[in-house]
Amino acid sequence: MIKIHDLNAYYDDFHVLKNVSLEVGKGEVAVMLGPNGHGKSTVLKSICGLVEKVTGNITWSGEEIIGLGAEKLVNKGITYIAENRELFPEMTVMENLKLGAYSQSARPHEKENLEKVFSLFPRLADRRKQLASTMSGGEARMLAIARGLMSNADFLAIDEPSLGLQPNLRDEVARIIKEINTQGMTVLVVEQNIPQITELADKLYVLEEGKISFEGSREEALGDDHLKEIFLGM
Amino acid sequence: MFIEIIDVIISGLINGSVYALMAVGLTLIYGVSKAFNFAYGSFYSMGGYIAFLLFGISFFNNYLIVFCLAAPVLLIFGFFIEKLLVAPLRKRDDWEVKVMMITLGLALFLDNSYQVVFGARMKSLPSILEGSFEMGEFILSYQDVVIFIFSLGGILIFRWFLNNTRTGMSVRAVAQNPAGAQIVGIPKEFVFAATFAISTVMVGMGGILLAQKYFITPAGGWDILVKAWVITAFGGMGSIKGGLYAAFIVGMLEAFVGWYFGMTWTLIALFAVLLTTLAVRPQGLMGKWG
Amino acid sequence: MEHKRITVFLAIIWGVVAILPLFFGSTNFIMHILIMCLIWSVVASCWDLIMGFAGIFSFGQVAFFVIGSYSSAIISARLGVPPVFSVFIAGIFTAGLGVLVGLPCLKLKGAYIALVTFAVHMILEPVLKGDIGRALGTGGARGILTIAPMNIFGYTFTSSDPIPYFYLLFLVAVVCSVIILMVIKSHWGTAFLALKDAEEFASCLGVSAFKYKLMVFALTSFLTGMIGGFYAHYVGMLSTRMLGIDLFVTLMIILVIGGVGKFPGAVIGAFITIAVNEMLSPLGSYRPIILGGLVVVLVLALPDGITGLFEKMFSEKKQGLSH
Repeated sequence: MIKIHDLNAYYDDFHVLKNVSLEVGKGEVAVMLGPNGHGKSTVLKSICGLVEKVTGNITWSGEEIIGLGAEKLVNKGITYIAENRELFPEMTVMENLKLGAYSQSARPHEKENLEKVFSLFPRLADRRKQLASTMSGGEARMLAIARGLMSNADFLAIDEPSLGLQPNLRDEVARIIKEINTQGMTVLVVEQNIPQITELADKLYVLEEGKISFEGSREEALGDDHLKEIFLGM
Repeated sequence: MFIEIIDVIISGLINGSVYALMAVGLTLIYGVSKAFNFAYGSFYSMGGYIAFLLFGISFFNNYLIVFCLAAPVLLIFGFFIEKLLVAPLRKRDDWEVKVMMITLGLALFLDNSYQVVFGARMKSLPSILEGSFEMGEFILSYQDVVIFIFSLGGILIFRWFLNNTRTGMSVRAVAQNPAGAQIVGIPKEFVFAATFAISTVMVGMGGILLAQKYFITPAGGWDILVKAWVITAFGGMGSIKGGLYAAFIVGMLEAFVGWYFGMTWTLIALFAVLLTTLAVRPQGLMGKWG
Repeated sequence: MEHKRITVFLAIIWGVVAILPLFFGSTNFIMHILIMCLIWSVVASCWDLIMGFAGIFSFGQVAFFVIGSYSSAIISARLGVPPVFSVFIAGIFTAGLGVLVGLPCLKLKGAYIALVTFAVHMILEPVLKGDIGRALGTGGARGILTIAPMNIFGYTFTSSDPIPYFYLLFLVAVVCSVIILMVIKSHWGTAFLALKDAEEFASCLGVSAFKYKLMVFALTSFLTGMIGGFYAHYVGMLSTRMLGIDLFVTLMIILVIGGVGKFPGAVIGAFITIAVNEMLSPLGSYRPIILGGLVVVLVLALPDGITGLFEKMFSEKKQGLSH
């Protein structure tokens, strides 16, 4: 499980996260909500070693991991799936997936993970020779998630998977997150446009102005009129 | 006349193949790390001098052994130059200028060190293969054939490396999307250094290949740097395919201009073509913006 | 650095330089070095303006200098124009070429600009040595061996009595640095900073990259060409050896020592570099090795040059006081 205590993050001199503490238990799904530009992505990136200036504690199964770079963290099973996908445009689907399994710990499992990914996303299997740059927004999103799964991760930080997706594909994303979660994956996802994902959540966090302003279950959140109105759209 | 034109085409092809090998190395560094290496020409001369030293020892007096020994030396040298000189600058906002400056300083240092150590006089290497193929007036030396085959072979090996090995794929990944590469856990710094090292090997090998034909001189690399630079800009900096096409176009252009107008015009013609191309397509033949 | 501090800094530098002949005036050899320092301080300051402030990777600075020196020498010899006017004509001619080179560069980026401008440098040698150059009067590979000395109102400046020429060039260098200072202070300077930081954003605000970049090409090549002319009429002979890589790197060392984009660092850099370079000359062929090594070490150890070091000391001192 992942445990964050008093996390502070900075971009140059700009103080983005202020004493953020949160916890995602093993095999749980936690969802983070909050207005845009208040630092949700930064929380995910800080966990995954993609923010340079961070202070505080982040422990992963009891081990302190703050300040480790992305290379080491991916190797430990912590993977980030970017909101803007960050695929390799001039490479095929297959090559993108292979690079998803770049880390030492993922290499021995490349074959089985590939099978798993293709059964989750049958459409990618059909298009394995296609260049990533020629894919539609929905397909590219699936590829980004699939590439993340190739890293043999135990913890996925998924950033706004609904971004640029048609509404009918949102159900698909929720289905996939549910499925990988039932297979034992711990997930922290930033998403507020897919109600089904909020339903999956074991725990909800709300981040406002770089601080956690709410922490609790979905039921508790529904009891809070402010939250209900703004973030859950109910 | 007819035979002459055939000769010109063949010399264009042979030069084009060597240029391709060297331009690909330069474009690779730029494509992956956006760094421009002014000492690239000095690495070319280094290849020649390493071979010259090895040939001086009778035990290593064989091209195969020379290649096998020079490659790792150049690889390690390139790797450490990147780690020690280029990598520390990357954190700065103005690192691009600083990298140009430091590599230019390195070039001056290396070129003059060659002059002190080996003297200003030209050095030559034995021909890799004596003899020639003759058919009437038409003569094709085996040496040229070997140069052509080795250069193309080098490019093909490099292509295979980029497409089929994990390190090669990570090099392409960093070139295409550095942020994405970081996310999947590719060690960017290592890839930068590895790319630099590989390009050093490519240009150094080119130096050994061409030394048997054009001699080794302390400042001989400048010509190569300028040509490789023109070719990469012409083909689109960072585009390997563009660099390959451009290399052969430049090889041909040079051969024809040199034959028809005289050698002094080749450089001027080269820049004229480059400027016209850039005026129409500022990103080069196959380059992309950004 | 704030503008006020630059002005004070510049005034101090020139004040010190102005009294140097009091100590060294009797030694022609040292005066000669000081004159070279003045000349290179202008060339380096112009390079700093275009590269450090405007953010254009122009590598044609030495080429423009050589073009200016050759054209002033040729204009004065062939057309009988007195040197005092020919240096300005040479400056205007160089500025025209500068604009011509600048035009294709406007559409290009970073390393491409470096290539196009360096191309001018590379082509210049075959052109000056070749048929075209000989027809113009460059003297081919031999170079130009006799150039009329500078002459103003009947007074002839000779290299055997360098103090008057020192003060003439001192005046020119001061004027050039004041022009550069004014450019940095004016809205040009602000526009450059905006363009360097975020070209797209700046052009949204209506800052025309086109206009400013072309103007900086014109101005820097004018000043560089003109000082090239002063150089030609001082040394009295020219050859394409100036286009060798040594001089190019020496000029770069000036910027490295002075700090890129740290005007008037380039002026200090010029005095230090040229003096050190002269002191190293007994080392013969080891000198360029040392120079090259020096660039490598300095770029790593002193990334903002001496001026950066001063700034750091100054701000630390200020912080220390406020505690």
